[in-house]
Amino acid sequence: MSVDFDVPKRQHPLGVFIIGAKFTWNLVRSFWPIFIGATLGEMEWYYFLAIPVVLLFTGAFALVYYLRFYFYISSDALIVERGIFQRERLQIPFDRIQAVQLFQGPVQQIFGLTGVRVDTAGSSGSELELVAVRKSEARVLQQFLSSKMTSGTAPESDVEMGEDAAPLEQQSKPLVSLGTAGLIKVGLSQNHFKNAFLGLALFMSLFQGAEEQVSDWLNGVPAVLLSVVGLTSVLLFIPGLVIMGIFGVLTSLGSVFLRYWRFNSTLGQDGLKVQMGLLRRNTFDVPFDKIHLTEWRSNWIRRLLGYETVRIRQAQAEGSGGLRVFIPAMEPVHREAMETALYPDLLDQKVLFDVTPARRLRWILLAAASVPSLLLLAVPSGLHFAVAAAWLAFVFWTTGRRYRSYRLRVCTNSIVLEKGWFWQNRTVLKMAQLQGVEWKRNALLERRKIGHLVFHTAAGERTFSYLQRDQAAQIRDFALNQLHAAEQRASTEPLSSPVDQAQ
Amino acid sequence: MDVSPVSNPALDLAQFPRLEEVEFLPVSKKYQGMRLAFWGAVQLLLLGACITPFLIYTFGGHEEMEVFSAWYWPLGLQLVFALLWFLEEWKGFPRRGYAVRERDITYRTGWLFRSTTTVPFGMIQHSELSQGPVSRKLGLNHLKLFTAGGSGNLRIAGLENESAQALRALIEARTRR
Repeated sequence: MSVDFDVPKRQHPLGVFIIGAKFTWNLVRSFWPIFIGATLGEMEWYYFLAIPVVLLFTGAFALVYYLRFYFYISSDALIVERGIFQRERLQIPFDRIQAVQLFQGPVQQIFGLTGVRVDTAGSSGSELELVAVRKSEARVLQQFLSSKMTSGTAPESDVEMGEDAAPLEQQSKPLVSLGTAGLIKVGLSQNHFKNAFLGLALFMSLFQGAEEQVSDWLNGVPAVLLSVVGLTSVLLFIPGLVIMGIFGVLTSLGSVFLRYWRFNSTLGQDGLKVQMGLLRRNTFDVPFDKIHLTEWRSNWIRRLLGYETVRIRQAQAEGSGGLRVFIPAMEPVHREAMETALYPDLLDQKVLFDVTPARRLRWILLAAASVPSLLLLAVPSGLHFAVAAAWLAFVFWTTGRRYRSYRLRVCTNSIVLEKGWFWQNRTVLKMAQLQGVEWKRNALLERRKIGHLVFHTAAGERTFSYLQRDQAAQIRDFALNQLHAAEQRASTEPLSSPVDQAQ
Repeated sequence: MDVSPVSNPALDLAQFPRLEEVEFLPVSKKYQGMRLAFWGAVQLLLLGACITPFLIYTFGGHEEMEVFSAWYWPLGLQLVFALLWFLEEWKGFPRRGYAVRERDITYRTGWLFRSTTTVPFGMIQHSELSQGPVSRKLGLNHLKLFTAGGSGNLRIAGLENESAQALRALIEARTRR
């Protein structure tokens, strides 16, 4: 290895500017109301003196912060020492690392540097960022950490072999990569309605993660309520809808180009590599065994174009951001390649349980979806009656389809949860990675022997609602059994692994 | 390459260890008293708040207090709420319990909203015993089990000192394998 990480070292000197820019940006972000407040009153020329003074101070802070920031690698952990007044020593054991991400914001791209972000599964201070590292160094660091985190339990000699990662590179299979045409395709098949909202939210408050809140809110609305929200918003916004539509399409295209510019992904031997981004170029390196959930989504347009989007979720505390990796435009070939790597049992087609929800769910969906028509009938008139009847017919038709779209399939190692008819959502998780299984129901459902099965994973919980008790009990017992079996295998494997025998 | 035949018998899905057959151990009876006392205290406060409009309406004698003539609405709601909560406590408490198997622990709770959660020992990151001032007096412990991501966290409340220590020791031993 040409680069030596054994001794504590500073980041690249140009990092001072990047740290300074970050500090300034944070300052602006947290004090912008004051700035705006100041401009409202009478302005005096000497107010502007504050700007160079503040810049000088942040610059000095950035310099000291840079000088006192060290990172190095010990035998089993990545260590960072930082802090101006209060010193902090972060020690990240290799096996706790979830993913290593290289990123190049506009500033880094100008200076030819790279940032390195290390994600861990912890709930607080879950990530660590080096903002300025030479490109070659960063790549060595990423490869080194990747080899360490996937072979955390392997013997020492094995790890040293992994350091020259050339053979690994050769074995990687290409996955999705996007050119301009691909980007336009992806951009046009986004959820424009949602993007219009996101765009508006972003426009109105450029600050503090509003995009994530709106997106979470939209995802958090229960499926039964979405139609209600949808209809009421349509009634409210019909005049503005056209503008919203155009705005939404533009936002979709813009955000897709920014985010997925020169998108490239490959499946390595034991991890996924993704590169993307225009202004901020990201390189993700995610080991397979640190992937706790994959969510496959498609809508009608995407199905027409023959692809779906996959979202990769890693261990993270509830509500904390964590790393989010999306791969758009997964065609069937890519899906098969990814499933071969992640969930080989899905391809066997050996489905042990194939469960649909109890009939009750159908009535609940129907009842919830017909609420708008009842509201219309509260003020009876001929027109209202006609609209309500049309809505009821539409709802009756879609509810059947939606009800039939709910499906739970259990293969030998994986669980597949499917839902949605227009917007399809398929979540896949491994039983060996489950953190807990819960059987939940209220007293009324209990009498009918119906309930909800909740799978707790390190990346959040996933629920399959309204299924029969007997089926749920069988699935739960089977899932726990598979989990324990995997654990047992893992605890006995190091003793009899072929690698050891060969040595 | 090893070419010996692998035995691969058909799976009987009813053969896997069944959770429904395990017996649940109850938590301390003293904890029920504590919960009921808490229920009583909260009800007393709420009742006081709900009765105030009635008192003002009856004895206040102000013209502008006409709003309070509907004093029975909040009171009625409060009584329904109190009854439901009491039922949850009364009928739900006997259902509280935990069961320990070789490789996992299951906690069952609730009457109106029932839940049975199983967490494998292998996935427990760390555990925590906590006591408030009241539960310390009563010798009760609350055991919290933390899993990665936090979605599977389990809180087993109202354990006697001995059983809490025993359970914790068991979990420590099992997770450290």
